[in-house]
Amino acid sequence: MKVKKFIWQILRMILLILILGFLLFPIFWVLLTSFKSNMEAYRYPPTFWPEQFTIRSYLDLYQKNNEFFMYYRNNFIVSGTTAALACFIAIFGGYALSRFHFKWNMVILAIFTSAQMFPVISRLISLYKIMKDVRLLNTLTGLIWALTAAILPFSIMLMSSFFDAVPKEVEESARIDGASRLGILFKVVMPLVKPGILAVGIYAFLMTWDDYLHSTTLIQKDELRTLSAGVALRYLGELSYDWSLINTISIVGTLPMIFLFFFFQRYMVSGLVAGAVKG
Amino acid sequence: MGLKKETGDKLFSLILLLPAVITTILFIVVPILDSVYRSFLDFKIKNIISGTAGTWNSFQNYTRLIQSGKLGRAIAVNLIFVVAVVVLQFIFGMSLALILNQKIRGSRFFRSIMMIPWVVPTVISGLVWMWFYQPQYGLLKYLVSFFSGGRVTEFAILNDPKTAIIGIMIAALWKQVPLGALLLLAGLSNVPMDMQEAAAIDGANYWQKLIRVVIPSMLPVIKVTLTMSIIENFKQFPLFWTMTGGGPNGATTTLAVLSYREAFVSNNLGSGAAVTTLWMVLMIMVVFLFNKALRTER
Repeated sequence: MKVKKFIWQILRMILLILILGFLLFPIFWVLLTSFKSNMEAYRYPPTFWPEQFTIRSYLDLYQKNNEFFMYYRNNFIVSGTTAALACFIAIFGGYALSRFHFKWNMVILAIFTSAQMFPVISRLISLYKIMKDVRLLNTLTGLIWALTAAILPFSIMLMSSFFDAVPKEVEESARIDGASRLGILFKVVMPLVKPGILAVGIYAFLMTWDDYLHSTTLIQKDELRTLSAGVALRYLGELSYDWSLINTISIVGTLPMIFLFFFFQRYMVSGLVAGAVKG
Repeated sequence: MGLKKETGDKLFSLILLLPAVITTILFIVVPILDSVYRSFLDFKIKNIISGTAGTWNSFQNYTRLIQSGKLGRAIAVNLIFVVAVVVLQFIFGMSLALILNQKIRGSRFFRSIMMIPWVVPTVISGLVWMWFYQPQYGLLKYLVSFFSGGRVTEFAILNDPKTAIIGIMIAALWKQVPLGALLLLAGLSNVPMDMQEAAAIDGANYWQKLIRVVIPSMLPVIKVTLTMSIIENFKQFPLFWTMTGGGPNGATTTLAVLSYREAFVSNNLGSGAAVTTLWMVLMIMVVFLFNKALRTER
């Protein structure tokens, strides 16, 4: 019995190492390659540890390919604004859906739920023309609104699950004290859901940082492109890629997300889990 | 007074929801309906440039796609991709969750670093795996040649129509297993300990306990995790577009790739809209059937 348990433990450890290796090794390999010299990166068989650590490819990215940082900045602007906007709208919408269960609120909830299933390309085929008609094609404003709408359904539902956790009695006593409806929302309820607001904001930032489709179709000016679209169109266009450059881009493009995640993971994880477990 | 409060509540709730409703109608509902409508029209980019309206073409967008065989193939590729990734994601995610749910040293640390692939932007995760698969200097080529004792010296997973989809599935799994594991782990920690222990006293072995006690009591979380994964994979586009562009020879052309190609590469928006309309119907059907299947099981 004891032997069996021991073997079982060993097997579990091996499985854990295999799965974690699968999840972590590829990005580690890219990181390692980004510190190799260009010559070494293109060697076959590959070296398993850089013979000579160099930050040459990072300097090159900064000095020769600095369009990358233009996309980078655009992405910060777009993701930051979208996250703020989505958060703001989701606070009101989420509160209403959590507190009031009128018939039309249920209809709205159903629309939000199904909106997540609509293909992005379907929307973009039509948005392309609509945006052109209202002169929002090739503007960051147009892109930001399209993205805000895309993440809004999930943001609102996530936000409303945080409001659900606030007991109604808290509001009742404030109402008796003579607070107005908006006063209750801003002064009493909102301070209690601060972690939720943070979770929604970070989630929205993360999801829009990942956007590729909206940006490729709604933006055709290079100086307005965001990260994914800009990288794909500028650096992946040729037949043979400059892998040294691409590995460096992969690392620099991912870093902000990793920082964001490690700083705020407590909020994000609890938020997502609460939203999902509730269903 | 009571009636007045309810009217006030209704008005207040409506005002609060207004920004969300307007944004959703303008940028989601209207575009979706408009694009369904356009799928019945002869509508190309040149119509937009010259400002002429599309014309009714009696379902030609649909019939042309079906007759050319493109649509059937894309649906097949899409379904294979979704089923394989969803099932494998569940198996890997569940294994990881079951291991990390136990008291092992460093469990918290593992839970945190396992999330890294999840935050890597999708296009970049495609690039990460493309570097790994790279046909001339890639590590995978070296590993394959090493473990086959030098018999296989050329290995380019994305260039072979038979294996390209597997290459993309691996990248998709890599990015999605962490979230699956995280959600399932949360579900697992909600399974009451005494329930698990009671089963152990009854002499149920590990697998029986897992299937009869643990999984049924975390079914709601499993359902949400799988539904999210089905939708995510049905909609997957950037991985296909960066890694293979739908090739080689159409082997990885899913509905997403086909619709994008029709609409924005061939500039035939009507035809692209026809693909997305069918795609949407198919996705809603799959999600509906899936939810129905899990409900009856309970």
